Amino acid sequence: MKKIVIYTLATGFLLVAGLTSCKKTFTDVTPKGQFLSENYYANKDQAFSALVAVYDVLRKNSGGFENMISMMNAGSDDQYAGGGGATDGAGIQGFSNYTLNANIIPGSFWNDYYQGIFRANTLLAKLPNTTMDASLKARFVAETKALRGFYYFNLVRLFKNIPLILEPLTASNMYDVTQETPAAVYTQIEKDLAEAIPDLPATVTLSTDAGRLTKGAAQAILGKVFLYDNKMPQAAAQFAEVNGTPGGTSQYGYKLLTNFSDLWVVANKFNSEYILECSHSSAGNSDWGWWGSGRDEGNSLNVMVGPRSYSRPAGSTAPDLPSGWSFNVFTQDFYDAISGDPRFAATVFDLKALAAAGQASYIAGYQNTGYFLNKFLPRQADVRTGGGAMELNYKQNTPIIRLADTYLMEAEALGATGARAQALLDAVRARVGLSSVPVSMAAIKAERRLELAGEGHRFFDLVRWGDAASKLAGRGFVANKNEIFPIPFRELQGTKLVQNPGY
Amino acid sequence: MVVGYGTQKKSVVTGSISSVKAKDLEKVPSGRIEQALQGRVSGVTIMQNSGQPGSSSTIRVRGVTTFGGAGNNPLWVVDGVVVDAGGIGYLNQSDIESIEVLKDAASAAIYGTRAATGVIMVTTKKGKAGKMTVGYNGFYGISAPEKTLKLLNATQYATLLNERSVAGGGNVLFPDLSGLGTGTDWQNAIFNHSARRQTHEISLSGGNERSTYFFSAGYQDQQGIVATDISNYTRKSLRINSTHKISNRITFGQTLGYSRQKAVGIGGTDEFGGVLSSAINLDPTTPLVVTDPVIANSAPYSVNPVIRDASGNPYGISSWVGQEMKNPIAYIQTRLGSYDWADDIVGNAFLEANITKDLKIKSTVGAKLAYWGGVGFTPVYYLSATTRTTQNSYGKSNEQVFNWNIENTITYNKKISDHSFTVLLGQGAYVEGIGGGQGTTLFNLPITSYKDASFSFDIPASSRTTSSYDATEHKVSSLFARLNYNYQEKYLLTGIIRRDGSSRFGANNKYGTFPSFSLGWVVSKEGFWTSNKLINLLKIRGGYGIVGNDAIRNFGYLSTVNGGFNYTLGNSGVITTGYAPASLDNPDLRWEETKQANAGFDATLVSNLNLSVDYYTKKTTGILRPVTIPGYVGVSSSPVANIADMENSGIEVELNYRKKIGDVTLSTTGSFSTLKNKVTYVASDANYISGDAGFQSMGAVTRTQVGESYNSFYGFRTDGIFQNEAEISNYKNTSGGLVQPNARPGDFRWVDANGDGSITDLDKVFLGNNLPKYTYGLTINLEYKGFDFMVFGQGAGGNKIFQGLRRLDIGNSNFQTVAMSRWTGEGTSTKYPRLTSTDPNGNFGKMSDFYLEKGDYARIKLVQLGYTLPARIANKIYASRLRVYVTGENLLTLTKYTGYDPEIGGGVFGIDKGYYPQARSVIFGIQLQF
Repeated sequence: MKKIVIYTLATGFLLVAGLTSCKKTFTDVTPKGQFLSENYYANKDQAFSALVAVYDVLRKNSGGFENMISMMNAGSDDQYAGGGGATDGAGIQGFSNYTLNANIIPGSFWNDYYQGIFRANTLLAKLPNTTMDASLKARFVAETKALRGFYYFNLVRLFKNIPLILEPLTASNMYDVTQETPAAVYTQIEKDLAEAIPDLPATVTLSTDAGRLTKGAAQAILGKVFLYDNKMPQAAAQFAEVNGTPGGTSQYGYKLLTNFSDLWVVANKFNSEYILECSHSSAGNSDWGWWGSGRDEGNSLNVMVGPRSYSRPAGSTAPDLPSGWSFNVFTQDFYDAISGDPRFAATVFDLKALAAAGQASYIAGYQNTGYFLNKFLPRQADVRTGGGAMELNYKQNTPIIRLADTYLMEAEALGATGARAQALLDAVRARVGLSSVPVSMAAIKAERRLELAGEGHRFFDLVRWGDAASKLAGRGFVANKNEIFPIPFRELQGTKLVQNPGY
Repeated sequence: MVVGYGTQKKSVVTGSISSVKAKDLEKVPSGRIEQALQGRVSGVTIMQNSGQPGSSSTIRVRGVTTFGGAGNNPLWVVDGVVVDAGGIGYLNQSDIESIEVLKDAASAAIYGTRAATGVIMVTTKKGKAGKMTVGYNGFYGISAPEKTLKLLNATQYATLLNERSVAGGGNVLFPDLSGLGTGTDWQNAIFNHSARRQTHEISLSGGNERSTYFFSAGYQDQQGIVATDISNYTRKSLRINSTHKISNRITFGQTLGYSRQKAVGIGGTDEFGGVLSSAINLDPTTPLVVTDPVIANSAPYSVNPVIRDASGNPYGISSWVGQEMKNPIAYIQTRLGSYDWADDIVGNAFLEANITKDLKIKSTVGAKLAYWGGVGFTPVYYLSATTRTTQNSYGKSNEQVFNWNIENTITYNKKISDHSFTVLLGQGAYVEGIGGGQGTTLFNLPITSYKDASFSFDIPASSRTTSSYDATEHKVSSLFARLNYNYQEKYLLTGIIRRDGSSRFGANNKYGTFPSFSLGWVVSKEGFWTSNKLINLLKIRGGYGIVGNDAIRNFGYLSTVNGGFNYTLGNSGVITTGYAPASLDNPDLRWEETKQANAGFDATLVSNLNLSVDYYTKKTTGILRPVTIPGYVGVSSSPVANIADMENSGIEVELNYRKKIGDVTLSTTGSFSTLKNKVTYVASDANYISGDAGFQSMGAVTRTQVGESYNSFYGFRTDGIFQNEAEISNYKNTSGGLVQPNARPGDFRWVDANGDGSITDLDKVFLGNNLPKYTYGLTINLEYKGFDFMVFGQGAGGNKIFQGLRRLDIGNSNFQTVAMSRWTGEGTSTKYPRLTSTDPNGNFGKMSDFYLEKGDYARIKLVQLGYTLPARIANKIYASRLRVYVTGENLLTLTKYTGYDPEIGGGVFGIDKGYYPQARSVIFGIQLQF
């Protein structure tokens, strides 16, 4: 007995001594459910998954609390930040009342686009060694470059003085980066998009590929980039290919919807007027823990712009809405501008009037005017029926560029003069039953304001036109400073980056 | 005294080890084991995380060793098995023989890699040879809140809200104050003043020369004092320990503990709509239950699935305070039937052989198998326009983990004339995290009540969601050696070296070596020492050592390509998974090291007083933490790096005094510790990283900066209140401009700390520590014939608490009554600013010392009076001992803090956003032994 036990002990010792002597195997643990970087991007499927990760950042248009549309709306003269109180979202409030500084600028407007760029750079570096069909690879490269161009375009518009990074950084060189001139950034964006366009498909299969970049979408982005880069003839040329005959169906199948209000019907995803849109889904079961991250596929703009504690008495004719957070309420000035326009009802949800008539009640949020952004209001019928937080799983797609926008941008690029510019403006007005007005910059400006209200364009338009200082003076806008955001404070720590002027 | 991998005579111990014995524990009403240690061992800061029954506590041994929450938890070793800090709740307090806390590096180094944050060793009871003893311990008690907050009543609320609205340019919200009365007392609705609490335990132990055994079974049941229907806890536990002599030289032993815990929790206890937060923030003008039929039959009650009481009346829904705040009583109804559970099995088995008289080898296998999960039902409800569901759901999760370890040691003991030495050589292998979990949620069940909920309903796949994961293994492989030497038990030496390899590091730095030594000199054994009545024994100790910490995420050294960067492609809402590198790799990632020096002495004075004093300094270098890198790099999660250094130092005093005066036996034990924490290096140009505690739109309210304590409160400093326009216009900068141009009388005057003439974020300063600067405890025991009396007090001080009980973004939230003393005109207040809905000066919106309060407290934790019946009476029921007692817990707390409870644990201490307070209990108990 005693011997057996001693032998057992001795064997135990040897066994474990063996375990520890093969140290390399015992304490090496292989990751599960994830891949090692050096082995990935080997084949078509892995390359496609990596491409999807580049697309992921398009979500920024209306996904997450810090999304482009609500942020840019808040800084325009048409809308306020709103929300629950003066401190509800320091970044959006700070942009709305022009007190943004390096500490309160939400870092995600910088980081998220650079994340897309990092993934694009990684994929572009890896794709040459991927085993896959050459033409498909060319399309992947084109999509990646077009997306990288688009992300840089948003960065350069938001921050102006940015690093231009075209290869993935490493721990050893990440602090050597410097800012590039805006001109150089624009040159690279134009190059990326120009290289992408030939290899992109004219159309995609909507059932499986809707949302992926097409020739038309890349041309619309490039046209817009040229417009901001003040290259008007080049801009007009790109837009002409996208727009075709004003009011007609373009070569890529784009056509204005007959009813303006149909643009905001949730089921009308990928309609003929949306050239590039931010795609959302209620199937992601998005939850608070990862709100606004890569897994969040919900539309956050919807809940943000809904009225707070909305309810209707029995028999009310007011629409059935879930409650929201009261962001992006319209200003009285905008209300006065659009009341009487055929687009009023689709654009403004006049809860002030409904409440006065006893048809609905709500709790007034910060800067409340009672005028809510109807284009993106959450609808009771769209409240998700799966898992996750109800607030975070709306599924309305939002336009990034739509045909009425490219019509008006082409008219602008044409110098707001000539028969084609007139026809483009007329087509936008005719769709909503408005008669022709003589084309001019003033007419285009007025049209863009009403047509594209609440879609996040107004602030950029004002800056491009040089009107920001006059239109936004009352909000605290400082010329030669507030046209762009401050560089987030963290980006200046230990790096060679320099803060934007005035901040 | 138990030390790692062995025992040592207390007289020759050279390290700093605090110990708590079964005798001390048995007077503490059973709860979580962490609570039993509070105030009884020096150098250990313990703060309860919540008053929720079964809730854990945060323990910090000798200060904050590293950054982050979980990495600071001490290493728990139960009968040689490493048990994670969160899982320690399975232990039944009455099963514990002793708890030793290894505080200094020289003692803890035997646990190497994971010992930097201190080691707590728990030894469970073993049987003794002899007659079988059967014991029963049981108590029954009633718990109640120690205090409730003073909140505004309906009339006061309406008055202040009117004032606030008008000052902000708005309307009078309540034109008619008459008839509002006092309104609803929401706190009264949620607090239970007679929550039940009981424990029953039986044990059997005994044995003979060859075998001994200990068996116990326990049951604990505790109701919470807040929203009791959704706040309670039960634990059932079993234990079998035994030791068997197989032969004269070979011993086999085992321990095995099993427990089942079931906890029903109230959900969040933060500002986002917990029961407490709702009770504090809801307006008192909303009724608890709507009894007016006109209101009950109109919107929102008439058109929504509102929750109703037994008589069918809807619970009131506030039209003033919205967002996540909801009628707490209605909310309770929506959480019924939801609970969490955990099954834990922890045990070990060893074989020990005495090869010769001096040489002993031992092989131990330990394992923990844990299963846990939750079940939850959510009905269709409408608690407010914001908090509502449109479909019911029923979810459950099941998770499991298996950890095991094997340790082999050889001990050689030898005494050669006056030289005694013990050599220990050992080897260990540890694997944690074999397991995973899965969860399922069903939606739209064809039922309305949780009582009918079942996972057997045939729910279509489109109305089910599932989730799953595999846990990642964490492996450590170790070799260790220890030498204990003494000469005549007068000169003492201990040396330890341990080498560990961890799966959390790459090939460059997989292994770390951790040496330590300590020395002791028993001065009172020297020839020159003349025996005296004042100092009977004196031992001087000192030591130095290095220990490590690998408490970071797995694969921090690798760059991996992960999923979760998804996009919706196609027009049917189908989500496509995208893969991308989540972070950069860091192949040079290495151990975090803590170097600690300890010096102290043990003395016995006037034959009755034992005194131990220690001083330590502890320096952690290469603190592991996810490091913030520039956003333009473009990775979505921060890489892990060794980024900071931090120091802790302190003095610890433990004393006990025992004296018999006639029939009265007096014994007193006390502990006192100081703590100084300072960050000495942060790998960042700015010398700081943002703090870990935040409050809504204020963002971080703490900051970790070189030269300051870890996570110090950081914000604006107030300098009184502007009483009139003149004071505002006199507050000028050097160029003659106003420092606070937006201020109005009644607003705070902010200190322009950087002197640039305006108030910006650069004027934020450090406003205090979240860590107590000192903690203390004192126990007094008195025995007189059959009576025994014990009082135990405990406290902490020198820290601040962030009082964030009122929601920032809900302007109409209720106030504490201190708001009645707000500024309303010149000379009315210098502390509480005016109320205005716009708050242009940021009186409430800015993080400032206005939100900080002193966290000092002293608490009479326990008072117990017991009586042991004379043996002749006990014998009549065949008992050898019968004791009855009454205990009062948390009878009195002295503090100036205005929240519920000043003892607030967590990753950062003292962040109060609706903290669940500890209960005051009165308990009656019986101890029986046969």
